[in-house]
Amino acid sequence: MNVVRRTGLPLPHPRGKRLHARMLAVPVASLLVLGASITVAGGAAESRRDVEAKLHYCTSCHGVSGRGFRGYYPIPRLAGQQPEYLKNQLEAFSEKRRTNNIMFNVSHTLSGGMQSALATDFQTFNPKPLGGAPKDLVPEGKKIFEEGIAAANIPPCAGCHGEDAKGNGQFPRLAGQLDDYTVSKLTNWNKERGQVPDTPDPSTIMEPIAHGLTPAQIKAVAAYVSYLE
Amino acid sequence: MGIVRARWPIPLLILIALALPATARVGGRHAAIGARGELGGKLEYCQDCHGTSGQGYYGYYPIPRLAGQQPEYIKNQLRAFNERRRTSNIMFNVAHSLSPGMLTALAERFSEFNPPPLGGAPKGSAALGRKIFEDGLPEANIAACAACHGPDGRGKDQIPRLAGQLYPYVVKVLINWTRERGQNPSTPDISAVMEPIAHSLSRSQVEAIAAFVSTLR
Repeated sequence: MNVVRRTGLPLPHPRGKRLHARMLAVPVASLLVLGASITVAGGAAESRRDVEAKLHYCTSCHGVSGRGFRGYYPIPRLAGQQPEYLKNQLEAFSEKRRTNNIMFNVSHTLSGGMQSALATDFQTFNPKPLGGAPKDLVPEGKKIFEEGIAAANIPPCAGCHGEDAKGNGQFPRLAGQLDDYTVSKLTNWNKERGQVPDTPDPSTIMEPIAHGLTPAQIKAVAAYVSYLE
Repeated sequence: MGIVRARWPIPLLILIALALPATARVGGRHAAIGARGELGGKLEYCQDCHGTSGQGYYGYYPIPRLAGQQPEYIKNQLRAFNERRRTSNIMFNVAHSLSPGMLTALAERFSEFNPPPLGGAPKGSAALGRKIFEDGLPEANIAACAACHGPDGRGKDQIPRLAGQLYPYVVKVLINWTRERGQNPSTPDISAVMEPIAHSLSRSQVEAIAAFVSTLR
């Protein structure tokens, strides 16, 4: 009880051994009274409480409302992201098709039901873009995004990611994405994606495009999409 | 001597002597820092408490390592002390006497120092600390420290370096996070990011992380 009073938080707290009775009582009560659970095809039911706790955990790195955050690495915006894309990526981390040590550890503890619940919730978030990209690159980026570069066989990004860059299904939303994140992904595409040759995935679509863009063009596209709401 | 005394009366000599250092001080474009002696003096003042090469010091309180710290973080913290967003009486008094130019110069100097860690942490739990630092505890919803503080714990921009930080300082800061940081609700700052993380960690997990980062170079 001291812990609760001191921190002013009504949640059960792992530090307080005296809270055991309460820690048991709350989930039981929520099951009985609220019945707050989400059942997803192919996954176990996840309580709303567990999903909220996990969302909190995700946003501790991915920023308030999933708007992205510049930590040691640029940590991508998840807000408004396509659920199918998010689930694909979590599976890709788990199966080492996409390489990232931290996200491997995160994803392989998530049940299928939890992955779906998180992906669905993040799509509903709609914070303003984080910003910070060089604005003078925006016009060139807009042109590449909308028209592509025919001479270099670069198709317009809008063809798959949509005119408003909000993505569709397995094609990710790019709108509001951190420019430094987009730059690092496009620059390292074939070192990070599609890393298990036996299980090819949709990331192969982007490989020739990422390869064909010059560093300056990548920066321009990344700056443009980073400001889209 | 006789000639000097005849041409330059003593009161005038005194006036000139008084005026000379003042002229030198305002001569440079960055008056406050232009005189090397002033930055040097302030550095020594910081080092009195934070250690001769900024490696930290066990005073009455654990006084944090500043060596190798990210300049942007140091500047943010000095401003936070000033604006009472971060509570420390001693550092409030220090911070609000520093000009913006001096603040920048000091932050840059400390980032260049690279002494070995001061040491003194219990060694038992460093292995658990490494695990939490590198991988987090996904089942307990605790994020990997490395995601923001970097795989080597050296931080980036406004994210502080943890490498070589004093064990009792890290323990104290994590345990007291909500009572020391973000204390001015009208001006929220980046310290809010750490709040849920600091809150979720148990005492023994905090100690393990602190023990691990204190050994990093």
